[in-house]
Amino acid sequence: MKQLWEGVFAKNPVLVLALGLVPAVAITTTAMNGLVLGIVAALVLTAAAIINWVLIPHVPANAKLPVRVLVLILLVVAAYSLLLSQNPGFVASLGIFLPLIAFDDLLLRAGDEDSSFSGAVLKACGQGLGFTLVLLVLGIIREFLGLGSIFGRQIVSGALAPLSLAGSVPGGMVILGLLLALVNLVTKRGGELHD
Amino acid sequence: MTNGLEVLAQTVVSGNLLLVYGLGLYVLTRYTKNVREAAAAGITVFTGMLVGSVLLWLCAPIIPGSPVPKVGFYLLVGLVAGLVASGLLKQGYKAVDSAVVGLLLLLGSGGVTGVQNVWMALGAGLGFFLVLVVMASIRRRLELAPIPKPLRGLPIMLITTGLLAIALLGFRF
Repeated sequence: MKQLWEGVFAKNPVLVLALGLVPAVAITTTAMNGLVLGIVAALVLTAAAIINWVLIPHVPANAKLPVRVLVLILLVVAAYSLLLSQNPGFVASLGIFLPLIAFDDLLLRAGDEDSSFSGAVLKACGQGLGFTLVLLVLGIIREFLGLGSIFGRQIVSGALAPLSLAGSVPGGMVILGLLLALVNLVTKRGGELHD
Repeated sequence: MTNGLEVLAQTVVSGNLLLVYGLGLYVLTRYTKNVREAAAAGITVFTGMLVGSVLLWLCAPIIPGSPVPKVGFYLLVGLVAGLVASGLLKQGYKAVDSAVVGLLLLLGSGGVTGVQNVWMALGAGLGFFLVLVVMASIRRRLELAPIPKPLRGLPIMLITTGLLAIALLGFRF
């Protein structure tokens, strides 16, 4: 269970490892977008970790990256097809960022450096959960600042002018930067770029 | 030609992939420790984009019409373009990147066809290269600046990139 909780907190993909930054700044304009993309990414990450754990040890070193990407492409296309048949609105609002998770640096590491099968799955589940949590929090903050609502429900209207910049990618970068600084302040980290 | 140059200017500045779409943040955070490293990564991604756009141009007759196979096709072209660019340049950094594939998906969703693909890839690659080099220079200065500890590293880098992007939003034309 240690691997599971590490992925959520101590080794959170976005807040600690600085992975998955593209969806974090680009798609979290609303809480729902963040939640949906987070869930899809978490499911794809876990499935990729299982497949890679079985497949990758048998692949030559110089072919590992293409094989990892091919596995992700298959899984992402399947997820895209499923989501398109169930809710085309979500596919439209996630735009290019839904298929793009096939090339996300977080998902490309699925099933990496894990000796046991359960370890690989738990790590992927933890990272997926941690990733979804951050995307959800960012989505809530940005939707509240940008539209004055959370999950489409109006919280403030009229009293405060909406900060439309919060809904843009540059605004997302600034908000994620401030969130990271807040996490660093609470956890007493900071000073180095998290490589 | 004027149309091509207009597209080029738009993709370099007002439609910058990194600043406007947030694509390629992994490269930005990992490969901008110095200008040389940033330039090398920028050239690799630039080559990937160019190869991808040429492939799209050549493969235009066989691009699937329905959405699911179309998405799969663009992702596969992105993978091939990244591998070809990495093979051509033989550098440590692999061009299998979200910026390359993101551009191809944007070209596909925007209905861009023919030689326009190449013009847009030229502009996008040049814009990406310039941002990496500029951010590497800014990062050098940030390392020497008296920044509060929680803001150091990734937070200040993201905030600076965001502010640079906000400044560029003023150049939308």
